[in-house]
Amino acid sequence: MNEPDDQEAGNALTPQLSRRQVLGLGAVAVPCLAGSTVLFDWLTGITAGPIENVEPITARYDPTAHRWGFAVNTNTCIGCGLCVVACKEENGVTEDPEYSRTWVERHTTTADGVVHVDSPEGGINGFTPDTAPVMVAGATVTDVRFVARLCMQCEDSPCTGVCPVGATYRTPDGVILVDEDRCIGCGYCVVACPYGARYIVPAGGDSPRSVPGVADKCTFCYHRITTGRRPACVEACPVGARIFGDLNDPMSPVSIVLREKPTKVLKAGLGTKPRVYYVGLEGEVDA
Amino acid sequence: MMVTVAGRELVLSPRVAYRAARAEVARTPRVLKAWYGVLLVLMAFGAVGAALTIPPGTEVFGTTPSFEWGILISAYVFFAITTSGLCLGSSLGTVFGIDMFRPLEKRHAILAVLSLTTAFGIIALDLHYPVRMVFGAVFNPSLTSPMWWMGVFYGVYLVFLLVEVWSMFTEHPHIHRYACLASSCTAVLAPSTLGAVFGVLFARSYWYGLFTPVAMLVTALLAGSALLGIVFYLVVRFELTGFERGRRLAIPAIRILLAVGLVGSLVLLGRGLVAGLSSEDAALHGATMAQLSGPLAVPFWARLVGGLAIPLVLIALPATRTVAGTGLAAALAFVGVVVDRLLFVHAGQIIPTTAVGGVVSETFVAYTPSLVEISIVVAAFAFVAFVYTLAERYLDLRETDFHIGFHLPGFVTTARERLAARRVAVEPIETSDDLAGGTL
Repeated sequence: MNEPDDQEAGNALTPQLSRRQVLGLGAVAVPCLAGSTVLFDWLTGITAGPIENVEPITARYDPTAHRWGFAVNTNTCIGCGLCVVACKEENGVTEDPEYSRTWVERHTTTADGVVHVDSPEGGINGFTPDTAPVMVAGATVTDVRFVARLCMQCEDSPCTGVCPVGATYRTPDGVILVDEDRCIGCGYCVVACPYGARYIVPAGGDSPRSVPGVADKCTFCYHRITTGRRPACVEACPVGARIFGDLNDPMSPVSIVLREKPTKVLKAGLGTKPRVYYVGLEGEVDA
Repeated sequence: MMVTVAGRELVLSPRVAYRAARAEVARTPRVLKAWYGVLLVLMAFGAVGAALTIPPGTEVFGTTPSFEWGILISAYVFFAITTSGLCLGSSLGTVFGIDMFRPLEKRHAILAVLSLTTAFGIIALDLHYPVRMVFGAVFNPSLTSPMWWMGVFYGVYLVFLLVEVWSMFTEHPHIHRYACLASSCTAVLAPSTLGAVFGVLFARSYWYGLFTPVAMLVTALLAGSALLGIVFYLVVRFELTGFERGRRLAIPAIRILLAVGLVGSLVLLGRGLVAGLSSEDAALHGATMAQLSGPLAVPFWARLVGGLAIPLVLIALPATRTVAGTGLAAALAFVGVVVDRLLFVHAGQIIPTTAVGGVVSETFVAYTPSLVEISIVVAAFAFVAFVYTLAERYLDLRETDFHIGFHLPGFVTTARERLAARRVAVEPIETSDDLAGGTL
């Protein structure tokens, strides 16, 4: 008995669409769907799974089999700046010395025991006598040494923990990388780094291989070391002051240095456990 | 299509809207037109500056890798804590039902929404990829990051605030009650987490530590109270809606909030100075000295004297415990908080972490904000002032009559009743005329 009523109700609920309306709906829906697909593709880069499971750069490379380390011998570094040049060329870093993945500092110790640190042009042009630090003029200099700086690839890295979107992460082989498709450019990791090793990539024609507006830093030339080569700065160093290798391999150059020479890490008191070790630095290094 | 705006039936059509806009412009007093004009010009400059920031990585800011966070971050922090501070003070009326704080409720809510949206706008301009932030925060939450939590709390806070405003103007008392409670709780969590964004950075000794979130919370209360102080001074001065209750209740309430904020800020400032001067940490000591006698000395002392000491004196002295005195104290405290946030962000980065390329062992890192940064910050203040002026002119800002509040513990209720009884005995009972008032 209720059938006619139900039918009426059903008819009332069924939308009555004209052909024109259907075509109009299609005209709106198709571009929307296409746009959504593009948007989804774009978002996939951001919403991809955990970065720890990322595919290795080369198929044969096993990141869990390595533990990369770096040593800087300040007794042998001559401050030529070739490492800085090599790094900028290899990684497409802008020539502006304020933006550097690696740079060289000059530590000048005067007779009163004070260490003056300077780094004109990031050391890219080397340290010639005419670039002597102004603040030591007239003072008796007791020691001058050149200290190469780069990302310390800390085991307890402050930069990875603070990133709000997980764009900076540590690989199983101990290198800290930045996912340039996820980074939002907030600068939190730049501020959090106690070693001043990070920067936001500036836009401009002289940064050909870097995405502008995202965080950048030394990666130990990850694209090279995962294919069996050494970092560009290590290869460029004419005196072997930059030493790189696998800490898991007792015969690697860096393991030998750590075994045979006393080393220090920068700002050890912060507890960040850097993987860059320094030979020849005296006392507590806070620089 | 018909809509009802402020009790008037309006037909939505371009012609009607144009006519209505013309009529409204004609009705607007000349002084108000000039005020709108100034604000619109400032906002236009800010819009140009904002457009220049859009391409990622463009160097239109004065920041450097050694000084990554500039005045946009200061402005973001300022507006973000102000919105919390507004809620903290007024929650005494909206949540706990304390009568003297009730006149603050509508104005605080509008200002809080405005401050928070402004803060979000500023941070979006500071980020190089703001859209990624939204999706990244949702799909790749980083629970170890205080910045992620801050985003969550402020996002949730905005939702609560919008519900609070909606329920207030549409008279949904039950929803309003819970929205007020939720937004008040978030108003505590959000600035504390914002403080933690800075407080966890052990690379920056000046920011590092437990006191940073506490200081952020106290500064939030001061900022919100100061802004309410300025607004209510203007309400009373120009006899706007509810000015009588504003004069009798809101101004004394704001004086109390200001006093708490000022004393708290002074105590925390003193603690910071003692900690900084006695610290063996070169960065913390250096940042403190930079403020006391270094490149930040002028704004530091100006803020200490003009933004803390003088407002406190104005509030404490019986002779200046007036509407004008409170308004002046609030204005000074407001400017003081702005300077304080600039100092806070600056001092945390002024000691270099390394001898950066091109810089020869400087004691202090130099930073000068660019014209783009300045234009955006000025426009942000202009935006808040502009929209709030519109709200004051077109919205019904009379107090709602559905103050429900949550039940307070027995001893507080008893004390309140006694106080109320004493007040009734000495003061004439207010009439409904008190709620009346003009509009801009």
